[in-house]
Amino acid sequence: MKKGMAAIFEAFRFKQKDTFMHRLDPRTTFFMAVSFSIIGMLFLQIIPLLLVLLSMLPFILLARSTRQWLKSLQGLAYLAGFILIINSFFISFSFAISTVLRLVALMTAFSLFFLTVHPDDFALALIKMRIPYEFAFAFSMAVRYVPTIATETETIRDAQMSRGLELERGNVFQKVRNYVPILIPIIVSSIRRALQVAESLESRAFGSTATRTSLHDLKLRKRDYTMMLLTILALAFVLYVAFVVQIQFPYLLPDWFFWGLPF
Amino acid sequence: MIIFENVGFEFEPGHPVLRNLSLELEPGQVVGLMGENGAGKTTLVKQINGLLKPTTGTVYVDGIDTRETSTAQLARKIGFVFQNADHQLFADTLQAEVAFALRNLDFSKDEIDDRVARYLELFELTRYQDQSPFLLSGGERKRLALASVLCVEPQILILDEPTQAQDALQKEKLLTFMDTFRDPEHILLLVTHDVEFAVKAVDRLLVLSQGQLIADGLPTHILSNPRILDRARLLPPQLTQLAHQLAKEFPNFPTDVTTIAAAAEAVNQLLRRQR
Amino acid sequence: MSIEIDQLSFTYSGSDTKVLNDITLSIPQGAFFGLVGPSGCGKTTLARCLNGLIPHFHPGVLDGSVIVQGLNSQDHQAHELAQKVGLVFQNPENQLVAPTVERELAFGPENLGVPREEIRHRVETLLQQHHLEDLRYKAPYELSGGEQQRVAIAAVLALQPDILVLDEPTANLDPLSAFEILQLIAQLNQTMQLTVLLIEHRLELVLPHIQELLVLEQGTLIAKGPPGEVFNNPRVSQIGVAVPRMIQLLQQIENPQIRSTIPLSVEDALRTVLKEVRR
Repeated sequence: MKKGMAAIFEAFRFKQKDTFMHRLDPRTTFFMAVSFSIIGMLFLQIIPLLLVLLSMLPFILLARSTRQWLKSLQGLAYLAGFILIINSFFISFSFAISTVLRLVALMTAFSLFFLTVHPDDFALALIKMRIPYEFAFAFSMAVRYVPTIATETETIRDAQMSRGLELERGNVFQKVRNYVPILIPIIVSSIRRALQVAESLESRAFGSTATRTSLHDLKLRKRDYTMMLLTILALAFVLYVAFVVQIQFPYLLPDWFFWGLPF
Repeated sequence: MIIFENVGFEFEPGHPVLRNLSLELEPGQVVGLMGENGAGKTTLVKQINGLLKPTTGTVYVDGIDTRETSTAQLARKIGFVFQNADHQLFADTLQAEVAFALRNLDFSKDEIDDRVARYLELFELTRYQDQSPFLLSGGERKRLALASVLCVEPQILILDEPTQAQDALQKEKLLTFMDTFRDPEHILLLVTHDVEFAVKAVDRLLVLSQGQLIADGLPTHILSNPRILDRARLLPPQLTQLAHQLAKEFPNFPTDVTTIAAAAEAVNQLLRRQR
Repeated sequence: MSIEIDQLSFTYSGSDTKVLNDITLSIPQGAFFGLVGPSGCGKTTLARCLNGLIPHFHPGVLDGSVIVQGLNSQDHQAHELAQKVGLVFQNPENQLVAPTVERELAFGPENLGVPREEIRHRVETLLQQHHLEDLRYKAPYELSGGEQQRVAIAAVLALQPDILVLDEPTANLDPLSAFEILQLIAQLNQTMQLTVLLIEHRLELVLPHIQELLVLEQGTLIAKGPPGEVFNNPRVSQIGVAVPRMIQLLQQIENPQIRSTIPLSVEDALRTVLKEVRR
């Protein structure tokens, strides 16, 4: 059963799908996401940022994750609104828009990774990149227990509200204190849970001295090399435009590149 | 008095958890609520103290529409003991834990002191009163959770799976305690999977399946109906199983026996008659 | 012998009460033993002693010895003992650590460095035997409590232990799921010759399968023997162990023949009563 609070995490929750994007090696997707983020950071003009955003859309479509992506953008709405107002007030509306576009581009690059990479494959990728297993495993466990803890938090809140707790009561300081009866049980339950999980891990030979094997292996395939190559080319082109053309030969760039709103 | 009028509820549009449910609970009853996991039991009881509000239809508690009040307001009337005591204990001491609800509901200082002392005594926890709740054993924590809800002296008490992981003696104590709620002022609603316990504890049984009430009546009648049991993923109590088997051979054998004494009496009569 | 416990006593670090007190006990290969006792009597502690969680994970003072499949638990680490003794816990949710059922089953063997082909073989076999194929790619939170516990049991069996110890595996489940889990445990004992020690409140459902019942009170083994014998012991009901309803019932029947039989199931009780009625 999906409950209110757990639904928020829905947007970030990996869903197993069989698409080109899901089949890519996590390292490839990671490389693409990082490259797109870098590209997004290189520009501050509206049209180039729009182009960056547009260039990511095919991949979102390819991953059949449009709805989840839109949901995650929805979660960004407040922050975007805040940036829009503050920046238009202090700098200009045009700048405000490009900042929001940049944020959306970063978020999209981020979603592209998290919506198509299985959390456990991510852990595998980390190991392949020579990061210790314990670290990778801690990451995958954190992801694993997010929905469990979200549901538990809701139960705890319900239990305390049933005892007359009103979260909105009092001044700012009291409001913060109102959360204590919720926070403490969450912490205590999490510690108890951690102990039980640890017992279960021990009972299944976690910490064995043997070199760990893995049911699934990651292999870079032709499609991965192709995508990485394309990404490198795109990145090189954009870096050239941003650092060489834009600075030394700005007259070569078309007018629309620098277009902005007059206010 | 609790009234559900055509209550429907959904977390997400198109996925109803409760469907068109109508129901009246009157004071003087100990009522059981059973059903498979995910049938909507928790969702149903959360409607009573306003933690959830119906999507369609209305829930009235003492004539008040739950949509027009808050859970905190209803907390004076309704005590809700959750399944896992660890989900509600948080205070530094047992005393503070019991006082929590009383403070939230603005009881006077004297009244709080008086009730804290009384309820710690009632649940045999006085000697730990200055200790942290987290040092108690599992059974003691469960008792503390009960004390910290009951000190408000609610008219309506909801117990969610109180017998879970409890041994036979603890269950006996719970049964005795539940008896003190069987009076014309109170309503006790017990949510449970424990068939053997329910048959001893409740006067009326509700069975929920896929958000609908599929049975409402005497526990003995319901728990001997294989169709209902099957839909609700319940197993009949062993005494009922035996009684039904015997009734197949001897049509006069009563099938509504719930206590050992009654069943033994019926078997003894059967033996005497056959002689 | 599968399990040999000799004069075992244990005190957790930082405490001064003995949670287990001078327990001596042996469980033969392939046997099905039940363990009952009131809350806090030391059942969980005993279970922890069997796979080395005590003393390696929970430190404390251990006297006496625990030998499982010839290995002394004090000399062998938990990960070694895990290949001899599988431990299943009460809360299924906290035993599932992997993002999917398939990876959950692979987790134990992966830790031991079992070759990939062998892991794949074990996982496929377990998925099939435990009817989990449809759940292969499901995340833990998408499973019902009963399904979670089935996965937890299969995940422990992936290490191919000889002994299965279950600590109240059905406490969080609805009655029918509990019944199914208990049936599964009985079946594992029968078909795979797995030695089973089951800690359980709802004993009525598996009583006919149990060879010997152990009763623990405040860390001491106060009774041991076939279920019928143990439930005849008046002390057992006094300490908070639920005597199965059928046994309670027949004890109150006037007919001496019936009163002296100890039924282990509804069918048993029915047979006894019918026999006397028809005489």
